[in-house]
Amino acid sequence: MDGLALESGGVMSEFNNRIDAQRQILAIVNMASRKEELYGLSVGAIDRWTHANGLDDGSEVVCAIREVAAKLFFLANKSQEQVTDEYRLRAVEVTDLALRIRDLVDAD
Amino acid sequence: MSTHLYAFGSVCRGEIDRGSDVDLLACVDGPAPHIDPEKYSIYRHDRVRALWNEGNPFAWHLHLESKLLFSSDGEDFLTELGRPGRYRHFGSDARKFRTLFDQSYAALNESVRCTTFHLSCIFLAIRNSATCYSLAQERPVFSRNSPFLVEPALIMDEAAFAILTRARLLSTRGFGENLSAEEVARTQKAVETVPSWMDLLWSQAAS
Repeated sequence: MDGLALESGGVMSEFNNRIDAQRQILAIVNMASRKEELYGLSVGAIDRWTHANGLDDGSEVVCAIREVAAKLFFLANKSQEQVTDEYRLRAVEVTDLALRIRDLVDAD
Repeated sequence: MSTHLYAFGSVCRGEIDRGSDVDLLACVDGPAPHIDPEKYSIYRHDRVRALWNEGNPFAWHLHLESKLLFSSDGEDFLTELGRPGRYRHFGSDARKFRTLFDQSYAALNESVRCTTFHLSCIFLAIRNSATCYSLAQERPVFSRNSPFLVEPALIMDEAAFAILTRARLLSTRGFGENLSAEEVARTQKAVETVPSWMDLLWSQAAS
């Protein structure tokens, strides 16, 4: 958690967009009542959520969440990497994955 | 091809606890498939030079809080870069973190779901506002307690700030004890002081 999520001189909305996308994904995942919520899209948070709720790590919903996390580049949990211009939000891919996760959560 | 490996962040200032990790940086010249991106922040040397030139906060962070672990050519790449350029983007960064705070606070008030994540984002907005302000004042503070170490300091229940820190660890590491509804409510109330503090930072930086 210690690295700074700082984006200086870059595209201002990029930082906020990426967190907004994460907020939307978490809202979808946490629509389903489970023992414990998903707290973030870091590797540690996804691992915790998977184990706390007794989910299969190879299940479709867990895989989809890991995939969207990778797209958003929160997986590295090295937060300074959330900021540089190289890591553009791939909005279309993220939206598609969010819809897939919603379907999986709805079907759960 | 030269490679330089560094540790940086909390471990370099001894600010560690059971939830801390060790931040690692790899500076490379080209593709480095042998380096695990989940363990290292991987940057090309040219990119690091550019961050240095623009006075990016991450460059300042590395300049002030990093330790060389390995050098393939015997040189200390970061030390040889010298002092980063002056940080000049407090205005845009402050707006960004204020937006993050406002959106997270609104989301927190709208729903009882995802509260840990919203509090984690509020921690990020507060901490980064303070750190960027300290850079703008040319008195850098990278501690996770930076909001209490800048002048004007954040006036806030410190126990509630500890809950924000726990939320951040839960979100970024999946580590720690879950937040209770009472803790969420207490922290939700405590962060009401944050917008006026952010306004103060803004006006101080502009003066």
